[in-house]
Amino acid sequence: MADNKIYWSGLEELDRTPEFERIESQEFPAERPADEFLADDRLQRANTGRRDFLKFMGFSVTAATLAACETPVVKSIPYTNKPEEITPGVANYYASTFYDGHDFVNVLVKTREGRPIFVKSNTETGFGRVNARVNASVLGLYDSARLQAPHLNGEATTWPSLDAAVSKGLTGSGRRVLLTGTVMSPSMKRAISALEASAGVEHVQCDAVSYSATTEAMRADYGRRVFPSYQFGKAETVVSLNADFLGTWGDNVWYTAEWAKTRRPEDGAMSRLHAFESGMSLTGSNADSRTRVKPSEQGRVAAALLREISGQGAAVVLDETVMASVKAAAADLKKSGAKGLVVAGDNDLATQRIVSAINRALDAVGTTIELHENPSLHQGDDKAFAQLVSDMNAGKVAALLVDGINPSYHAADAAAFNAGLEKVGFSVSTALFADETASRCTAMAPAHHWLEGWNDLQIDPNRIDLVQPAIQPLYDTRQPAESLMAWAGQPADGYTLLRQTHSAAYTADAMYTDQNWNTGVHNGFLAVTVPEETPAVYTGADLGGALRDVAARKGGTFELDVYRKVAIGDGQQAGNPMLQETPDPITKTTWDNYVTMARVDMEAMGLNTYIAQEEPASVVKVTVGAKALELPAFPQPGQTPGTVGIALGYGRGGGNEAIGKAAYQVGEGGDHLADAEGNLVPIGKNVFGLAPVVDGVPSRAVYDVSIEATGETYPLACTQIQHTYMGRDSVVKETSFDDYLAEAGVKRGDASWNKTIGLNVHDDINGDGEINALDKKAAGEFDMWHEHAVDGVGHRWGMAIDLTSCIGCSACVTACHIENNVPVVGKDEVRRHRDMHWMRIDRFYASDWNMERGEAEGVGVISTYGKMEEPGANPQTVHMPMMCQHCNHAPCETVCPVAATTHSNEGVNQMTYNRCIGTRYCANNCPFKVRRFNWFHYPGYDKFQNFNPAQDAIQRMVLNPDVVVRSRGVMEKCSLCVQRTQGAKLEAKKAGTPLEDGSAITACAEACPTNAITFGDLNDNASEVRATYDNNRTYHALEEVGIQPNVAYLTKVRNTPKA
Amino acid sequence: MQQEAAIREPLILGNKSYKDITDDVVGPIQGKAPLGWKIMITISSVIAFYGVGCILYLIGTGIGVWGLNKTVGWAWDITNFVWWVGIGHAGTLISAVLLLFRQKWRMAINRSAEAMTIFAVIMAAVFPGIHMGRIWVSYWVLPLPNQFGSLWVNFNSPLLWDVFAISTYFSVSLVFWYIGLIPDFATIRDRMTKPLQKKIYGFLSFGWSGRAKHWTRFEEVSLVLAGIATPLVFSVHSIVSMDFATSVIPGWHTTIFPPYFVSGAVFSGFAMVQTLLLIMRKTMNLENYIHTKHVEYMNIVIIVTGSIVGVAYLTELFISWYSGVEYESYAFINRFSGPYSMSYWIMMTCNVVSPQLFWFKKIRRSLVATFALSIVVNIGMWFERYVIIVTSLHRDFDPSSWGEFHATSIDVGVFVGTLGIFFTLFLLFARFFPVLALNELKTILKSSGEEHKRIQSDGKSNH
Amino acid sequence: MESKKVLHVMYDDDGKLLEAAKQLVAKGIQVKDVYSPFPVHGIDPIIGVKRTRLAIASFMYAMTGTSLALFGMWYFMIQDWPMNIGGKPSFSLIQNLPAFVPVTFEFSVLCGAHGMALTYLLRNGTLPGMPASNPDPRTTDDKFVMEILTEENELDAAALEAAVNDTDLLELSIKEYTA
Repeated sequence: MADNKIYWSGLEELDRTPEFERIESQEFPAERPADEFLADDRLQRANTGRRDFLKFMGFSVTAATLAACETPVVKSIPYTNKPEEITPGVANYYASTFYDGHDFVNVLVKTREGRPIFVKSNTETGFGRVNARVNASVLGLYDSARLQAPHLNGEATTWPSLDAAVSKGLTGSGRRVLLTGTVMSPSMKRAISALEASAGVEHVQCDAVSYSATTEAMRADYGRRVFPSYQFGKAETVVSLNADFLGTWGDNVWYTAEWAKTRRPEDGAMSRLHAFESGMSLTGSNADSRTRVKPSEQGRVAAALLREISGQGAAVVLDETVMASVKAAAADLKKSGAKGLVVAGDNDLATQRIVSAINRALDAVGTTIELHENPSLHQGDDKAFAQLVSDMNAGKVAALLVDGINPSYHAADAAAFNAGLEKVGFSVSTALFADETASRCTAMAPAHHWLEGWNDLQIDPNRIDLVQPAIQPLYDTRQPAESLMAWAGQPADGYTLLRQTHSAAYTADAMYTDQNWNTGVHNGFLAVTVPEETPAVYTGADLGGALRDVAARKGGTFELDVYRKVAIGDGQQAGNPMLQETPDPITKTTWDNYVTMARVDMEAMGLNTYIAQEEPASVVKVTVGAKALELPAFPQPGQTPGTVGIALGYGRGGGNEAIGKAAYQVGEGGDHLADAEGNLVPIGKNVFGLAPVVDGVPSRAVYDVSIEATGETYPLACTQIQHTYMGRDSVVKETSFDDYLAEAGVKRGDASWNKTIGLNVHDDINGDGEINALDKKAAGEFDMWHEHAVDGVGHRWGMAIDLTSCIGCSACVTACHIENNVPVVGKDEVRRHRDMHWMRIDRFYASDWNMERGEAEGVGVISTYGKMEEPGANPQTVHMPMMCQHCNHAPCETVCPVAATTHSNEGVNQMTYNRCIGTRYCANNCPFKVRRFNWFHYPGYDKFQNFNPAQDAIQRMVLNPDVVVRSRGVMEKCSLCVQRTQGAKLEAKKAGTPLEDGSAITACAEACPTNAITFGDLNDNASEVRATYDNNRTYHALEEVGIQPNVAYLTKVRNTPKA
Repeated sequence: MQQEAAIREPLILGNKSYKDITDDVVGPIQGKAPLGWKIMITISSVIAFYGVGCILYLIGTGIGVWGLNKTVGWAWDITNFVWWVGIGHAGTLISAVLLLFRQKWRMAINRSAEAMTIFAVIMAAVFPGIHMGRIWVSYWVLPLPNQFGSLWVNFNSPLLWDVFAISTYFSVSLVFWYIGLIPDFATIRDRMTKPLQKKIYGFLSFGWSGRAKHWTRFEEVSLVLAGIATPLVFSVHSIVSMDFATSVIPGWHTTIFPPYFVSGAVFSGFAMVQTLLLIMRKTMNLENYIHTKHVEYMNIVIIVTGSIVGVAYLTELFISWYSGVEYESYAFINRFSGPYSMSYWIMMTCNVVSPQLFWFKKIRRSLVATFALSIVVNIGMWFERYVIIVTSLHRDFDPSSWGEFHATSIDVGVFVGTLGIFFTLFLLFARFFPVLALNELKTILKSSGEEHKRIQSDGKSNH
Repeated sequence: MESKKVLHVMYDDDGKLLEAAKQLVAKGIQVKDVYSPFPVHGIDPIIGVKRTRLAIASFMYAMTGTSLALFGMWYFMIQDWPMNIGGKPSFSLIQNLPAFVPVTFEFSVLCGAHGMALTYLLRNGTLPGMPASNPDPRTTDDKFVMEILTEENELDAAALEAAVNDTDLLELSIKEYTA
C-alpha cells in the first residue's frame, strides 16, 4: 500500500504562505546583479570637500575603513568557444601599418585576449620606428568619446539610411567634392575614382600641416609635385633650416633611425648636423652646431649657403656669428658633396627653391634625395583647398565629403571654411569623433580606428603595406573606402574591396587560399614590382626672384615661428591623456602650449623666468594683425632673442566637441572647467591660421608680431625645474668626436673624458712615496662587506644607454607608460612634482659657468653655483633617459622596514607592491629619485576621473594584464619590465633552449628608434649589453656613491666643428 | 638623614610641613577646576579635534593631501616626529640622569616632566603611523608570524630600529612614571572623601600602604630603572638620527648626528619643560616648589646643550667644506643660501644665538625671559629638523629631480592638531594627577626646606 | 588561649620614629613593620628589613631579552629566509651583527625594565584594585606608624604598651585579632 506521508520543510510550506509560494516559484532567486553593484561608483570614491570640515570629518571615517578593504573585484568571462589563435595569457602580434596623414610606419600590434594593448615597430619586415604619437595611439581605440554609430543631422542612424541620404546629397547641383588628407591607400584611391566616375565627385587633398612649399618647389624644379624622400642614412653632413626632422618634420619616423645609424662613434665616422632655427627644436637640441636665427633670416641663410657653395646669387646681409656658422656649414657640405643634405622646415616657396638649388649644387639628388614619381607624402594642395573654400562660400558646392582631416580646426582660415560649410547643401565626415568639422556636417559616417579595420597603404613604390584589424570594431563604424564604394553605388565590404584592389579576380572562396596574400598579411606588406622610373631632371626656372624675395625680408621687434611638439604633433590626438602628460622633450612641460621666449626678452618685459610649482608663468598677449591670443610665456634657452614660438595642435574642441574627456582642462578637484557660457575649456590655444598665407601657401612664420605682458599668470606643469647639471660630471659625461678619436683605443676608465671616479685613501696607491690627494682608488673597488655573488650566477639583467644616440624623442616614455599601466595623474599633480613616469628623460642644458670660471673671474663659490643654475643663451643639450638603476648596493632596499624592496638573484631591484606600507624612505634614499609613490587612489579618486584611463570603463581595456595596477599608498618604479623577462624565460624553458640575447627586451629598449637602449643578460658573455660594458665610453651614473648600478650609460659624443 | 650645606639655596620655600606639601598638591585635585584651566582645556581640545579631523581626511584620501612630492618624500611629518621625540627626552633625562646624580632639585619637576615626556612620545608616535601610505597595514613592521610563511621584517632598516626604540622608550618611561605615581595616588586615595574618587584613586594606587619593605624596593626599582633609562634616553635619539645618518643623501649622511641629535633633544626638551612649568606653577600655585632656582638650573642645562648644538652646526659646515665632496659642500651651501635659507637662519638664531643670553644671570633667573626664550628655542628646534629633512632632500645628487616643497593646509592642520592633543593631555594630567612627586619632596623637606635650613643655621650659630 | 594583640604606634615625625624604633629594638622588641608617607632612610637596618634582590632580577631579565633578540634576528634574517637586501651580507649572524646592535639593546632594556617592574609589583602585592592595608589613612600624608605584634614578642601587651609609651609617640591604638 502506498505510503503517502508528506514531508514539509517548514511550517511555511505546510500552510503554503504566499511568501513561500513566491520563493518556491523561482528556483534561482535573483540576487542583486554584480554589474549593478559594481556600477555603484561610491564603492571607490574617496571624495571630500576640503573646506567643509564636518563633511570630510564624517566622510573620512568611512573612507578610512573603505580604504582598508582593498580586495579588487575580478570579473572573468570564460570563452564559450575559444578562438584557436588566442591562448589566455599569451600575447599575439599582428603586422600592421600606421598612417595618420603624417607619420607612416610599419608596426607590430600586441594583443592580449583579443585586445590591442601595445604598438611597436616592425623591425623585421618594415620601415620606420614608432614615435610617442604612434605607440600612444592605441589609447585612442578605446576612447569612449568615439562616434558609436553613423549620424544624420545629429541623430544616430543606420548605415543604409545614411547611405541613402549621402547618395541623395550627392545629386545636388554644384561642385561635389571629396576633401581628404594625403591619400596613401591604393584601395582608397580605387574607391575615390569609383566615386568620381559614378557621382562626378572631385577629389581635393589638403594636409593638416602643409608641406606644399616643398612639393611646389619640386614641381618648379623637377616637374614632379612630390615630397622628396630624404636619405638621412646616406648623409655625412646635414644642414637643417628649422626642419625638426627628428621630431615632427616630414617622415620623421623613418629619418630618426636612419640618421642615428650615421652617429656611432665606434664606426670611426660620424655625420655632422648643423641647425639654424629660432626656437629650440628636438633636432636643434641634437645638433652638433646650432645657430640662432630669426624666421625672417631663414631664407637669407639658405641664400648665403647657396652662395658659399655654388657662388650663385648676390651677398646677403646676416650678422657675423650667423655668417660664420653658414660658412662652417657650407665647408662641411662641400666636403661631403653628394653626401650632403640640406632640409628646410619653413613652408616658404622661396626658401624651399633655394634649398633645392643647394642640394642640386651638391649633386645630392639621387643620393641623399630621391624623387619618386609617387606615391608621396604631403600631397595636400592648398590652392585647390582655398578655391574650394571660396566656392563653398559662394554657394557653389552641393556636397562635401570630408575624410581624415579636420579643416574646421586646422584650416588657414577656419572661420571661412565653417561659414562655407553652412552653405554646402550636404556634407558628411568620416571622422572617428564628432570633431570640429564632423559636428558641423550634415552626416557623420565614422571610420574604424586604424586597429579595427583592413586597409592598404603605399609609401615605397616596391611594397604595399597592409593594415589588418587587431580587434573586432568596437562600435558600428565603417572603413572610409567602404563608405565611398557604397556611395558610388557598388557596395563591397572593406576586406573584399581590399583584396580586389590587389587581385581583381578575388572572390570570397579564395579568402584563405592565396599564399602570396597570406605571407603578405603575416609580414605586413605585399611586394610589388614597378616599372623602372625615369630619374628626375632639373627643368627649373631661375632663382633670381626667390633670392631677391628672401634678401628683401624684414622682421619686426618680434617674429613668430609656429612649431609642433613631439607628443601632440598636429593635435589629432589631443584627447589622448598619455600624450598630453608626456613631457615635451625640450621644455619638459605637460598639458599646455605656451609662448617660448628668450630669457633676455622676458627679463626686458619683466616676465617670470622661473616657473615652478608655486611660480606660475606670466601670460603675454600675442597680436598678429587682427588676431590676438593670450598664452603663458616660457623661458626657452636657445630661443633667438626677438623671436617667439608657439606650438600647433592645442586648443582643440573650442566648441565643446566630443573629442575625448582628456582634451579639456580640469580643476584641482578633477571636474572639467567651464567658461562663462558653460563651455568646456580647451587645453592651450589654437595657432593654426595665425601665420599668413603667402602666395597660396600657408606659412608657419610671422615676421612681425607684437608681444605685451598682461600682468596675468598661469600655472605650467613642468617635470624638470632645474635645467643644468651643475657641473656634476659623474651624472653626465660628454666629449667631442675629435677627443673621442684621440683616445678611441684606450680601455674603459682611462680615457680623459671617461675616467673611473676614484676616492682618496690613506694609502700610497700610486706609489709616489707619499700619501696625498693623488692616491685614489676606483669607487667600484671599495667593498665594506662580503658580497652577494652577482657575476656568473644565473641571469643578471642589465641595461646600457648610449647618450650619443639618444635624441630625447620620448618614445620610450610613452612605451613604458602604456606597458606598465603607469597612471596618468593630470596637470595639477605634475605641477606638484608628482608625475608618475617610471621612465623619464632628463634634459640638461650646458651652462656658461662652472667652478673654474667662477674662480678665474673671482666670483664667490655661492654666486658661482647660482650662475651655474642658469642655462647658456644658446646651450648644448643632453638628453639622459633615467629610470631605476637597479643598484646592486641599493640604498632603497636597505632602509625598507618591511623588506618590500629587495634584490632578486637576477640583479633586479624588486618592488613588492603588496608588502609595501608606504614609508617613502626608499624614495628619499634614492640618489636618482626614480621611485614613484601612489599619492592617491588613481584608479578611483575623483581628481583623476577625466583623464586616467583606468577610470574609464572602456579605456581600462588598454591596461596590460601582465602588470598589476598599483593601489594607493605604495611605492612603484621601473621593474626592467620583469613581466617580459619572466615571459622570455618561460618561453626558453618550454623550448628547452638557453635564453637567447634579445628575446627578453624592455618596452623602452623596444621603442627606442635610435637603438640607444640596450637590454640583456650581463652574465651572458655573448650578449650585446655585456659587450657595452667593455666599451670605453661606458660609465655608471653617480659611481662614487658606491651603489653599483646595473644600468650603464655611454658617454655622449658630439661631432662639434673645430672652432 | 642626609645633611646639606645651609648656604645652598633652599629648594622648598616657606615654612612647609609634610602636611602642607600634601595639601598644596592634593588640594587642587579635590577642589573645583580653576577658570583658567577650563578656558585652556577648551581651546586645546578644540584644536585637538581639528587635528583629528585632518588626520582622518589624510587617511581617507591619501598622503597626497600633504605637500610632499617625488623629490621630497618626507617633510612636516618626520620633522614633527623628530621634534616631538626630542621634546620627549627631557622627562626621563631629568628623572633618570638627575636621580643618578642625586640632583634634588629634580624632584619638583620630574613628575610633570615625565608626564610631558609620555605625551610628547605619544604625539611623536602618531607621525610614523600616519605618514605611511597604508596605515591599515602598519602592524607589518612587527616581526609577526603570518599566513605568508617566511615573511619577516628587515632588521637592517633604521626605520625598524626606530620602531623598537620608540616603543621601548615609551613603555619604559610609562612604567617609570607610574611606579613613582603609585605612592602619591595612595596619598590622594587616603584623603579623598567622595566614594567614587576614593574608588578610582584606590584602584590607581594598587593598594599601596607604604610599608618599610615596599619603600626599600621602591627606591631600588627607581634607581635601577633610572640606571637603564639613562642609556635608553641617549640610544633613542641616536637611533632616530640614524634614519638620516645611515642614508646616502648629502646632508643626512653625517656621523655626528647621534650626539648632535641627543643634545638637541635635551635642549628642546628642557625648553618645553620650562614652557609648561612656568605656566603650571602660576595656575596651580606651586611657586614655593618650582621657583627661580629650578628655572636657573634648567637654563644652565639649556645653555650647555644649546652650545653643543651650535658646535655641531659649525662642525657640519666645516666638514662639508673639508671633505671636498661636491655634493656635500653644495648641500650645505644650499642650506644657507638656497631657496630654504630662511629656515636655516631662523634655526641658527633661535638655537645658537638665543640660548647664549642665559649667560647673563639676570636673564637666567628672569621667569618672563625664560618663558619667551623657551618658546623661541622650540621654534628653532622645529626648524632644525625641517632644514635637515627638506633642504637635504629637495636638492640632492641628480639636478634633474631637484624640486620644491610647499606645505598644504593639512600639513599645518595635523601639526597644530598634535599640539592641541598634547596640551589637552597635559592639562588633564595637571588637573587629576599629583603634579609633584610628594613622597620624594617630603624626603628632602628637612635637608632643603627653607625653614629647616634656618633652624639648622641658627642651631650652628648658637654654639 | 590568650588573644593576640597588634599595637599601632603613631609618630608625627620621621626623626621621632627612628629614635623610638632604636629604643624599642634595644629593649629587644620586634617591630613588625613601619608605615610611612615616604621612605624613612635608616629604618630598614633597625627593624631588620633585608636588602632587596630586584636589581639582580632585572639583570637576568635583560640578558633574556638580549639572547631572545639575537636569536630572533638570526632566525628571521639568516636562517629562515635570507634575502639580498641592498647587497648586504645575510650569511651569518656575525657578518650582520652591526645592524642588529640597536634592536638588541632596545629589546634588552625592554625586558629588563618591564620584567623588574612586574616582579616589583607582584612581590609587593601592589596590583590594580588591591585593598589598602595601612592602619591609618594619615600614614600616606604626614604620620608614621610602627606596627608591633604581641605574638612576635615575649613581652605581653601591657609590657609592650609601657615600653612604647616611653617613646615620643603621638597616638597608640591596640587592636585584638585572632590569627
